[in-house]
Amino acid sequence: MRKIKLKKPGKHVIELKKPGEEVEIVGTFETQGTDRVSVEVIIHHQAPRTHATTTLKGVAKDQSHLKFAGRIVIDPDCGQSNSFLTERILLLSDQAHAEAIPDLEILTDDVKCSHAASISNISDEHLFYLMSRGLNKKQAEKLIISGFLEP
Amino acid sequence: MARFAKKQTTDLDKKLKQDSYEHGDSFSTADYKHISKPGLNKEIIEEISSFKNEPKWMLQQRLKAYEIFKSKPMPNWGVDLSEINFDKIRYYFRPTEDQVSSWQDVPLEVKDTFDRLGIPEAEQKVLAGVKTQLDSEVVYGSLKNVWAKYGVEFLSMDEGLAKHEDLVKEYFGKVIPAADNKFSALNAAVWSGGSFVYVPPGVDVQLPLQAYFRINAESSGQFERTLIIVDEGAKVHYIEGCTAPNFSSNSLHSGVIEIFVKKGAQCQYTTVQNWYKNIYNLVTQRAFVEEEGQMIWTDFNMGSKATMKYPGFILAGKGAKGEVLSMALAGADQHQDTGAKAIHLAPHTSSTIISKSISKGGGRASYRGLVSIGPKAHHSKNTVICDALLLDPESRSDTYPVDKVFNSQVEVQHEATVSKIGDDQLFYLMSRGISEEDARKMIVNGFVEDLIKKLPLEYAVEMNRLIDHEMEGSIG
Repeated sequence: MRKIKLKKPGKHVIELKKPGEEVEIVGTFETQGTDRVSVEVIIHHQAPRTHATTTLKGVAKDQSHLKFAGRIVIDPDCGQSNSFLTERILLLSDQAHAEAIPDLEILTDDVKCSHAASISNISDEHLFYLMSRGLNKKQAEKLIISGFLEP
Repeated sequence: MARFAKKQTTDLDKKLKQDSYEHGDSFSTADYKHISKPGLNKEIIEEISSFKNEPKWMLQQRLKAYEIFKSKPMPNWGVDLSEINFDKIRYYFRPTEDQVSSWQDVPLEVKDTFDRLGIPEAEQKVLAGVKTQLDSEVVYGSLKNVWAKYGVEFLSMDEGLAKHEDLVKEYFGKVIPAADNKFSALNAAVWSGGSFVYVPPGVDVQLPLQAYFRINAESSGQFERTLIIVDEGAKVHYIEGCTAPNFSSNSLHSGVIEIFVKKGAQCQYTTVQNWYKNIYNLVTQRAFVEEEGQMIWTDFNMGSKATMKYPGFILAGKGAKGEVLSMALAGADQHQDTGAKAIHLAPHTSSTIISKSISKGGGRASYRGLVSIGPKAHHSKNTVICDALLLDPESRSDTYPVDKVFNSQVEVQHEATVSKIGDDQLFYLMSRGISEEDARKMIVNGFVEDLIKKLPLEYAVEMNRLIDHEMEGSIG
């Protein structure tokens, strides 16, 4: 299985051309201050029996903007392909701005394809749990964020 | 195996097979009182306005909207609209002289058409009021006395303007301004017909109100305009149904529906759209929801050549709720580009969008949605679920969701899946003695079941039959 780690923002096109090819794509991004970060990933299935798992995670702080745009494209006659796209963003400040766009364009019927996106803050329950164990708020947040970003 | 014997044919089945759901033929337009020349210009708009004896401000609004329409480019996204020729469309038809309130007075040909669609029968049994619109004008309307007594108004938009000019002036074009998009501008310029509904505070209209739209003339445009005002604590369910006969040239249906849901009020708006497959269906629908109000759009798109329709709500008051339940069925040569828009402006607002689409025979179904949570909408929640079913290799399914979040105290979730009918599911049902065709129908009906449950019973039954009908002979 091919593993791809996305390090830079911008546009990434991943093509699956060989039948039976498998790819795992991972990207984690943190923005702070007045960062403007946009990550675009296109996963293009061009052969049958291709598999892809894409996971994008991000943490947006301060006044930063974070945008994830993922797109799964499955060409005609690419039967038995599987593709899964996840976009998760932790939004830690009210001034920060997050955008998640997970697109699907499916032109074959014999496929399994799905995507999931979520945007939320650190949940109060998680914080409470750690703080009841003696961590202060800052430490607890730090721990949750590092756990969130862990692949 | 008697338990699993072939399903009983009910009366509804027989009726369906006969003619009630056939798109049918049109009748001659020779008896129409007025048909405008094809093409759109200032004179046509002035003509429409003078026919309706409208106040001056409305004519001015129409002309202003016409200028906006001319200045806006055609949308280059979504469905292919390049075949629409605005110069060939006739913008205004007047099939009868006036709206009548007794079914006996409806002209024979018009009556026949609606009789076959089962309107008068349904009216007696399950509806609180009915409006039927043929081409540009509402030809028949009624409202049961029980509701009229409480001050519920269910009028055609033209009557509404005449009778409640102040309300129309206050609300018309406020949630969907003419400049919203090219087709809302077109509608604002040439609108005719549609419904005006006002429900006074605290009145619960327990039976649905129904409007029925039919296009009868060739190369025509239907531009209905609906305004629904649900006052504080009131509740209403409005259903619209659409059909059109088979023509060789394309027609255009471009409605605008504006809904105002006041404090604590509830409104459900259901569309059952079964246009013939040569109609462009480009509709703008939006609701403005105040504190603790609730808006539910249920949207069933089965027909038309191309549909672009994104029911939306602006949740402007604290604790407001919105829901969109949308189903699209795209067959051969159809493109259903449907979705939803959820705009959260106030704290503690929540919305749910559930979209189910089925593509078959080379059809294309798209979900296109926007969820925007503004800086003041803290503690808001949104869930979007899109499921797509592809029935054959030629069909296509797309999902284009956009989530925008401007504050951190929110929960936004999006999920989408695309799949086909599982071989294991088919195998299970067929091993129990069900034919492949019936098994497929069962699976498709099960796929959309939770949406159909939201319809009143009579409609749910009909909708299941309609899906069966569409699925007939779908095994390649």
